[in-house]
Amino acid sequence: MEITIRNATLGDIPFLVETIIEAEKSGTPILSYTTIFGLIEEDVKKYIALMLEEEIDGCELSISAFLLAEFRGETIGAVCAWVEGLEGVSSTILKGNLLRFTLPQHCFESISLLNHLIRELHIDYIADTIQIGLVYVAEKARGQGLVQKLLSKKIEQLKQANLKINDAYVQVFGHNFAAIKSYEKLGFETIEYKIARNKEITNYLPSDSKLLMKLNI
Amino acid sequence: MNNLQVFEKLTSLFQEVFENPNLVLSEKLTANDVDNWDSLTHMILITEIETQFDIKFKLKELNKMKNVGDLLGAITFKLSE
Repeated sequence: MEITIRNATLGDIPFLVETIIEAEKSGTPILSYTTIFGLIEEDVKKYIALMLEEEIDGCELSISAFLLAEFRGETIGAVCAWVEGLEGVSSTILKGNLLRFTLPQHCFESISLLNHLIRELHIDYIADTIQIGLVYVAEKARGQGLVQKLLSKKIEQLKQANLKINDAYVQVFGHNFAAIKSYEKLGFETIEYKIARNKEITNYLPSDSKLLMKLNI
Repeated sequence: MNNLQVFEKLTSLFQEVFENPNLVLSEKLTANDVDNWDSLTHMILITEIETQFDIKFKLKELNKMKNVGDLLGAITFKLSE
């Protein structure tokens, strides 16, 4: 299978939106953008597109963070990764700013009530390391080593531009055994595991647990 | 509102949002220095700041803020507009 690996552009926004949504759901019907902000999925797609169009660098809603795989002109895979805090602002803040700026006011009326719950699975990003936001491969293209190709290429790209970076991290929901296994095969090791005490969290997030995995590069 | 009043009001907001009455603000304080400063808490913080100070930030302004000092400067600037 002859695959082209390339950087994402503005023209890829529809594919990126679908990828982000699939990654957020993590194989479950739970889309946190809908459950936390009280939105319907169609509106979430619209807002994610708007946020990508801002072309902010350095977070999971950055076009520049995406590397895509194409086969015969069709996009079949994506990886999203960035160097954390490169411009002195954390990706958490960048994402929060994008959401605050883009989503309608009513989305923020009740989020303070959910904060205690969601916070149970929060793991800080570490500055000056590579953060992997997501990896996605279309079902028909799986089993051909595309995850490793995309991830290796993106890590290489980021490391070449930032020679002092030695570590890559990924946060994976605990139920996503397939993803955990994939990362382990690539040499990632679990270094932190969080499990929420309040199981109501699964009304808002795909899982009640999260792993932090690390790779020395 | 003078700079001291802005600082005191901001401190009070931070203490409320982060549920930490002992939180002390300094100009160099960043998200890395404060527990539980995640994207959701950040949104709540910005919402509260905009509501309490009756101001509205542009995205470009929000993304320029690297620490509390920058935030204080931005609020003061907005209040003087």
